Amino acid sequence: MTEDAFDSFPHLLGEWLKGSGPDSDIVISTRVRFARNIRGFPFTGRASETQRADVLKLAEDALKQVHLDRSVVMLELDKLAEIKRDVLVERHLISRELANGEGPRGVTYGRGEMLSVMINEEDHLRLQWIKSGFDVDRAYHALCKVDRALESVLPYATSDRYGYLTACPTNVGTGMRVSVMVHLPALTLKENIDQVFKAAQRMNHAVRGLYGEGTRAFGDMYQLSNQTTLGRSEEQIVEAIKAIVPKILEFERQRRGQLYTEERSFVEDKVLRSLALLRSARRLNVQEMMSHLSMLRLGVDLGIINDVPVRTVNELFILGQPSHLQETEGRSLPPNERDTLRADLVRSRLAAGTN
Amino acid sequence: MDCQCCNKRPAGIRICDVDDNSIEEQINVCPDCFNLIKRYMFDITKPLMVTADVVREVQGLLNAGDKALATIPEPGGITPVGKDPVPICPDCGITLSEFRAKGRFGCPRDYEVFAEHLDPLFERIHDVQPARHEGRLPENSAGEETVQRRQTIADLRKRLDAAVAEENYELAARLRDEINEAESASQPESSKESS
Repeated sequence: MTEDAFDSFPHLLGEWLKGSGPDSDIVISTRVRFARNIRGFPFTGRASETQRADVLKLAEDALKQVHLDRSVVMLELDKLAEIKRDVLVERHLISRELANGEGPRGVTYGRGEMLSVMINEEDHLRLQWIKSGFDVDRAYHALCKVDRALESVLPYATSDRYGYLTACPTNVGTGMRVSVMVHLPALTLKENIDQVFKAAQRMNHAVRGLYGEGTRAFGDMYQLSNQTTLGRSEEQIVEAIKAIVPKILEFERQRRGQLYTEERSFVEDKVLRSLALLRSARRLNVQEMMSHLSMLRLGVDLGIINDVPVRTVNELFILGQPSHLQETEGRSLPPNERDTLRADLVRSRLAAGTN
Repeated sequence: MDCQCCNKRPAGIRICDVDDNSIEEQINVCPDCFNLIKRYMFDITKPLMVTADVVREVQGLLNAGDKALATIPEPGGITPVGKDPVPICPDCGITLSEFRAKGRFGCPRDYEVFAEHLDPLFERIHDVQPARHEGRLPENSAGEETVQRRQTIADLRKRLDAAVAEENYELAARLRDEINEAESASQPESSKESS
């Protein structure tokens, strides 16, 4: 479709940043994704320009046929400016890989930014559903509905032996990845985070940074996800995540409680210094912003800060990212100008009495 | 300086993560750990990670003991095929060794063509035995027709290009008509409605 969909885009944020839903003191969002491919075509990495265009057309037609085009935005990424593509990455609507990819490729996402369908990423289709808070069941069932509708009009590449066939052997089988984005400031402060990593690993789950594979955990944000997709049913994958995440939440809450009761002045000092810094700084780089926002989020949960809603903190994590700042400003900016704008944005959102 | 991986042996090798020509991070390790890190990094089934993350993974395996360490594949990744002729996929033309080097399949057919080599790989990646799918599959195979029509169109286009190259304009004109006919038949109803 068009770039018009972008006009209001940088200001409106998705459902998953609401800061609501179960366990939203720690869990930012729950995401479920399915990798799907269309029979009769090579995987994207080996497809010609024409074949990619055909896949894109088939997928878009299928989305229209199941009436997913009514309330969604459809974008063809090869026709979209780089900054706008980066905004979509910062929103978690598309992957870095799709943004930087080549040839005909696209994304379709719902106005509430819960559903997103990437076309011609590593697999022909990557369907994902994001919910705020820890809500695997809802995200999974919502995505299943979309998948069932699409499979009635698109012949998926499957085999009885290996299930859904994918470009990478790590996704074969269910093609399903559940990712839970968690904020773990207390476990990070108390240096327990490695324990969490190791425990998750023993149970075949991976812990990654905010923007997926190979990225750093800025702002004490981590993504926990299942690592294996073959030989376990979708329900088993869901149950495994539902067994592991509460243990991490309990651990984090226990450490938060400990900080508040046993090290009150230490944690109050950290939180209030971060708030003062964010309310005063004239230049903020993205890491600095994220690490202080992390302390703020902790402070809101512990009741040290009462005049900042958690949604504001969640939104700043996204709105303060480089491409969002540049998209709002309407031009590309050098880093020092971005730092000034970021500080302005944070100050205005956190100004006392505005919330 | 002690190795930042095992924290025991002296470090002798420095690993640098480079991004846009600037050094992002430096980690000093001993030769033994370096070999483990290298093997882990070049494991095609693993996602690309920054060195610090790889070191953390390797530390986890070191702490878990020899059995865990053995899960890191030997250089080259997967067991060699032996003297069999090189398996190649008739649909996409990928060879087994190409798949091994890239860690990505070329097309869905590869799963059939390379079947006998895949189970050990899948068992290791997914930590499961046997490597068989559990869970849902599509309930019907609707949409098959659309794809066949697409493939017909693709074939016709190829023949059209060939005809033009041979300056066989009579055939080219006929093929163009066939393509137009097939393309108008593949327009879904709802897309007409909404455009």
